[in-house]
Amino acid sequence: MNRIAQLSSEPWGALPGGDACRLYTLRNAQGMKAQISDLGATLVSWHSPDRAGRLAEILLGHDTPAAYYAATTYMGGLIGRWANRIADGRFTLDGIDYTLDRNENGNLLHGGANGFHRAIWQAEDERGTLVLRLESPEGDAGFPGNLSVQVRYTLDDDGALTIEYEALSDAPTPVNLTSHGYFNLSGEAGSDIRGHILTIDADAYLEVDPQMIPLGAADVRGSAFDFRHGAPLGARLEWPNTQLARAGGFDHCYILRPAIQPGNAPAVRTVANVYEPASGRELTVETDQRGLQCYTGNHLEGQPGRHGVPCVRHAGLCLEAGGLPNEINMGTQECDEVVLRPGRAYHQLTQYKVGVRT
Amino acid sequence: MNRAPASQAAHRIALLFNANKVYDREIIAGIGHYLRSTRVAWDLFLEEDFRCRLAGIERFDGDGIVADFDDPAVADALAGCPLPVVAVGSSFEDPAHYPATLPYIATDNRKLVSLAWTHLIGAGLPHLAMYSLPVALENRWAQERERAFAALAQAEGIQAPIYRGLATSAPSWNQAIEQLSAWLHALPQPVGVIAVTDARARHLLQACLMHGIAVPEQVAIIGIDNDPLMRALTRIPLSSVIQGTEEMGKTAAHLLHQMLGGARFPGRRILVPPVGINVLESTRHEPLSSPHVMRARHFIRQYACQGIKTEQVADYVGVSRSSLEEYFRRELHRTVHQEILRHKLDAAKAMLANRDAASAEVAIRCGFTSLQYMYAVFRRELNCTPREYQDSVAPTSANASPASPAAPAASQPPA
Repeated sequence: MNRIAQLSSEPWGALPGGDACRLYTLRNAQGMKAQISDLGATLVSWHSPDRAGRLAEILLGHDTPAAYYAATTYMGGLIGRWANRIADGRFTLDGIDYTLDRNENGNLLHGGANGFHRAIWQAEDERGTLVLRLESPEGDAGFPGNLSVQVRYTLDDDGALTIEYEALSDAPTPVNLTSHGYFNLSGEAGSDIRGHILTIDADAYLEVDPQMIPLGAADVRGSAFDFRHGAPLGARLEWPNTQLARAGGFDHCYILRPAIQPGNAPAVRTVANVYEPASGRELTVETDQRGLQCYTGNHLEGQPGRHGVPCVRHAGLCLEAGGLPNEINMGTQECDEVVLRPGRAYHQLTQYKVGVRT
Repeated sequence: MNRAPASQAAHRIALLFNANKVYDREIIAGIGHYLRSTRVAWDLFLEEDFRCRLAGIERFDGDGIVADFDDPAVADALAGCPLPVVAVGSSFEDPAHYPATLPYIATDNRKLVSLAWTHLIGAGLPHLAMYSLPVALENRWAQERERAFAALAQAEGIQAPIYRGLATSAPSWNQAIEQLSAWLHALPQPVGVIAVTDARARHLLQACLMHGIAVPEQVAIIGIDNDPLMRALTRIPLSSVIQGTEEMGKTAAHLLHQMLGGARFPGRRILVPPVGINVLESTRHEPLSSPHVMRARHFIRQYACQGIKTEQVADYVGVSRSSLEEYFRRELHRTVHQEILRHKLDAAKAMLANRDAASAEVAIRCGFTSLQYMYAVFRRELNCTPREYQDSVAPTSANASPASPAAPAASQPPA
C-alpha cells in the first residue's frame, strides 16, 4: 500500500449567485498535484511529470468557478444522475413513466441542464483522501428517489488517481455516474490529441443514430474503432467511417469485456491506455464498469479553455467509465443493473494512472 | 458502414514496396496485421527479394495494389492503372505533390520532426541542427523534413542550420565523414542534431567517434525510423523516432479492403503521426546550462501575451518559484517577471509598428493589465509613449499581416 497523498485546500472564488467554491489539492511523493473543486466535484487540474520529470497540466479546464458554471463542455465534471443520454428524456420503471429534463435535442444529456457537475458538494478530508457528498432530492432533473451520493478521490505515490463512487436511494431510480476529464498528455497548451496513441481493450462498441442514441453493438474488427492494439488517434479520426462522420470523431461507448470475480462482484481491470510520445506520458484506465465512452473532443473548437484561450478541435480525450448510454431504455436484462433500489448501493471504482514510458 | 461482400475467391493484391528497408517492411507487417485481425484472406504478390519491380506491372492480373509512392517511377507506372490502388509515402506541405485521384496514406513528416525537436529541447539542448540528404526525387521526404525543421526554428526564433552532406558512396565515404565532422565542429555546442533517417544518424555518430566529439555531451543525436540494424551498428545506442508504419499498413489495407467492395476514395489523404520515440544514450544529455531556464523561456515565448505570472511559469517547469528565480538570476541576470515583460514589450512594439491595432487593443492583446500599465512600461523601458514609439518607426506595409483582426492573441507569435 502506498503512502497517501497530502491534502490541502484554498478558497477558489465564487459563482455568479454568490456561492463560494473551494479548491482541494492532492499531492504525492512524485510532486504530482491533482486539484478538485467542491463545485461539481470537478477534477480541475492535474500536474504530472514528463519523461524528464517536469510537471505540466494534463487536463483541459477553466480558470474560475464561474467559467465552469457557464461552460457546456463538462470539463473534469462529475456527471450524474445519468452520464450520457437517455433517449427522448423518458423511461419507464416498475410500470411508472418518468419524464426528464430534455437538455439536448429532446434527450437528457449528462444529468440535465443542472446536473451534478453544477452543484456545490460537501467536501471533507478523510485521512488524506477527499470525500465529496451530495444530496440529490426526489425529482432532481425528473428522476425519482432521494439520492445520496459520495465520491472519494485518492492520489497515490504511483500516480494513480482513484475515484470511488457510492450512491443510495429511497426509491428505485436509474443511476449512471462518470468522470468527464479531458486528457491531453502533451502538457502543451493549444495542442490536440491526434498524436496520442490509444488502446482500448474491447471487442465491440455501440453504434449511434444521428442524435447519438445507441442503435446496437458492432464488432470493432477491421474498423476505425479497433483499438485492441494501440493506434494513433490522428490517423483513426481520418478513416472513412459513417459512425465517425456522424459524431465528428469518436463519441462512442465501448462495451468492455465482462470481468466477474468469484462472489459475482465486478472486478477492476485495465481497460484502456493512452500514450503521448513527445512527453513520454502514459495514462492507464482501470475500472469495474461495463462501458467506456471514448470522446475525442469533437466539438471543442472555440470552446473556452485555460488562460482565456479557446480550445482547438480534438484538444482533449475523455475516457468515461460507466454503464451504457440510454441503457435504461434498451429493454435488455442488463438494464436492471442500472437501476438502484432501496437497500442496495450503487458502487463504481475507476482509476486513472499517469506515468511515463521511457 | 461500408462492408465488403464476402467473396468466394481470395483477392489478389500486389504490394509494390522496396522492403529492404525497415520502413517498408513494417508497413507490410501492418497490412498483414489488418488481414489477420479481420480474417480477410488476400493472395499477396511480392517479389522474391521484396524489391519493387515495375516491369510488367500493367499486366498484373489481380484485384488491387498497395504501393510505396516515394519512388516517382512507381507513381508513373501506376498512373493509368485500372485496378484499385492505395498509395503510401511521404507527407507534403504542398498539396500539389499528392496524386490527385488516389487515396494516399502518409507518414506525417511535420510531426516526426516536431517529436524529435521537442525531445531535444526537453533534454536541455540550447542549439539544434539537422543532417539531411542531398536533394533527389526519391527522397522528397527528406526535403519535407527540412521544411518542417526550418518552420519550427522560425516559429521559435532560433538559428538552426541544416546540412545535407554528400550522397553515400564508397569512394566518397572518407570525404563525406571529414566534411560532416567539420560541420559539427563549427556548430555552437552543445547541439542536438536531428538526422532525417537512422542511416544518416549513424554517419553523425561515426564522425563524432572519429573526431573525439562527445555524444551526447557535445552533440546529441536522434534519428528517424528506429531501425534495429542501425542500433546494432553503433557503439552509442541511437535514439530514434518511431514512425506509425504499422498503422500506415493497417490504414492502407482498410481502404483497399473497402475499395474491393466498391468504395472509392479519390484524393483522400490520411496522415499518420509517429507512435513513439526510443530514447537511448545518444540523447541522454545532461546539460550544463539549466534546462529549467530553457523550458521556462519556451513557455514564456508561447504565453507571455496571455498575462501569465511567474507562478505559472514555475508550475510549468515543475520547480518552485524561488528556485526558478535563482536559475534565471544566474543564467540571464534578470527575473522571470522581467523576461515575461520583455516578451510582452517586444510583441507590443511589433504590433504598433505594423499598425495592427489601436493602443488599447495592443495592451490587451499583449497581456498588459491596462493601457496605463503599458504606457508606464513604455515610458520606463523606452522613454517614450506607445504613440511616440509608433511614430518613430516607419510603417512596414510590406509585412502587413493578412490575419483577420478577430484572430486571438494566441496566434500572434511574439516578435
